[in-house]
Amino acid sequence: MLLEIDGLVKTYRKGARANDGISLAVAAGEVYGLLGHNGAGKTTMVNQVVGLLRPDSGTITIDGRDVIADPGFARRACSIQPQATLPINGLTPAQAVEMIGRLRGGRADDVRRRRDGLFEALDIGEWAGTDGARLSGGVRRLVGFAMAAVAPGRLVILDEPTNDVDPVRRRLLWAQVRALGDEGAAVLLVTHNVVEAERAVDRLAILDHGRVIATGTPAQLKERVADDLRLELVLEPGAALPELPPFVLRDVGSGQRHLATVAASAAAAAVGWAAAAKLDGTFEEYRLGPATLEDVYLELVGRPDALSNGNGVPAPDPATSLEDARVRAA
Amino acid sequence: MSALHSYLLLIRWNALRMKGFLPLAIVVQALFAFGIVVGYPLLFPELDPRTVLFLATGAPAITLITMGLVATPQMVAQARTEGSYEYMRSLPVPRILHLLADLTVWLVIVLPGVAFAILLGTWRFSLDLQVSPLIIPALALTTLTAASIGYAIASVLPPMAANMMSQVLVVFVLMFSPLNFPPDRLPGWLTGIHAVLPVQAMGEVLRGTLAPASFPLPAGAFLLLGAWALGSFGVAWRVMERRG
Repeated sequence: MLLEIDGLVKTYRKGARANDGISLAVAAGEVYGLLGHNGAGKTTMVNQVVGLLRPDSGTITIDGRDVIADPGFARRACSIQPQATLPINGLTPAQAVEMIGRLRGGRADDVRRRRDGLFEALDIGEWAGTDGARLSGGVRRLVGFAMAAVAPGRLVILDEPTNDVDPVRRRLLWAQVRALGDEGAAVLLVTHNVVEAERAVDRLAILDHGRVIATGTPAQLKERVADDLRLELVLEPGAALPELPPFVLRDVGSGQRHLATVAASAAAAAVGWAAAAKLDGTFEEYRLGPATLEDVYLELVGRPDALSNGNGVPAPDPATSLEDARVRAA
Repeated sequence: MSALHSYLLLIRWNALRMKGFLPLAIVVQALFAFGIVVGYPLLFPELDPRTVLFLATGAPAITLITMGLVATPQMVAQARTEGSYEYMRSLPVPRILHLLADLTVWLVIVLPGVAFAILLGTWRFSLDLQVSPLIIPALALTTLTAASIGYAIASVLPPMAANMMSQVLVVFVLMFSPLNFPPDRLPGWLTGIHAVLPVQAMGEVLRGTLAPASFPLPAGAFLLLGAWALGSFGVAWRVMERRG
């Protein structure tokens, strides 16, 4: 394993235990997701890996080398896209990416070639010469990714790389994340966007209150909910949520949007109930589909505020909807 | 990659990042110089030649010190708040190079304003200064010391506290430091404090090199400044190397 973390504990001075015994391992060539709600301890863990924070206890090795004792090695071995978008006012994306690539030790012509390739692959070439102060948040985020990927470390750490990025370029970005892994880097992907992570990662760990509460491939984790279906409900504006029938195993969400879990055996009953409620004007929309990683996540973490986007509203996702449509059609 | 190569790249990075700040820095320093050279004389019923020399040679010192103590902490505090301080620390570059590159760019940014302050003073008071070549190390040392102290303050204190601290220091420098007037006007206890603080020494090295015919150039002032520059540089470096 390229990155191995064992028993990592980090308590901040004010007493918050941000990491409470984290253990995980990431292999070269693997895209490894680190999922968790805001404040679950993801960024704290990453900052210890790259030597910005010192753990209270536990070990971190990269390629067998103790990086707590040798943070300089960690900085050479890791390239990072931080959660906070780096301001590059005064620099153009082309300059910023090239200089970071060269500061990371890349040769000038290699760095330029790779930079141009990344800009093309992410479709941000038209802004390559624009001052950073005039870039949109999404483009700045993509430039941040290019800075991490232009002369990638053996471990590439991406902290919420898709925030602010438009749906089309998100797909381009995920392809480039995948490419980093295919080229041999270990990729540690920190996100709270469960829906997207499901399609991008090889394996993942779910963090809750500083602890790893589950690890595995998306398919392994989904076995927990293999017998469940997800029923998304959108209330008509002003309508109150009706009493939920007994086949609803769990409901999260608030306001107009609800995400209910029903047993697969109750699919017909669930559709009947939701369709009737739509007819009488209670629901504006409903959607029944197979349970996703998000449902696993919600079952494990069990809080509506843990949903993607961090604002309590499940992210609308075109691909999931298509999948659901297929299920409905079948 | 060699350290020199990294250093030059970091200088380029900083220079590009701060090029928008350069005109502002010149304007702010020019206003300071204008206030001292044109505004301060209003406090005096009549100006004797010695007062005039103190004002003309104090102006560059005050612009340099306030820029170092105010603008540097604000920039470091901003870099810490927006995350670029941490990001730059995560690069595989010796961290001392970040500091050296920052200070180098800083030196270049403040020089035009200082030149303006000196020219304005000589023009306003029709002075004919016989400037010593030692003005170059004097300016460099004053700039680096002020900026290093500002850097150290912003590295040690949380961003808000650093900004407040720098404001307090500016009041102290403007009102209670012997830059525009001779030190013997201060109460005894304050003279003792200024004997170990770097502010008076900054005034002395600039006065002594701008108007060597009228002011002594104490070697001890250079030494004291050097000690403060190294000390505050060391603090900023140590904080940069520290893991939380």
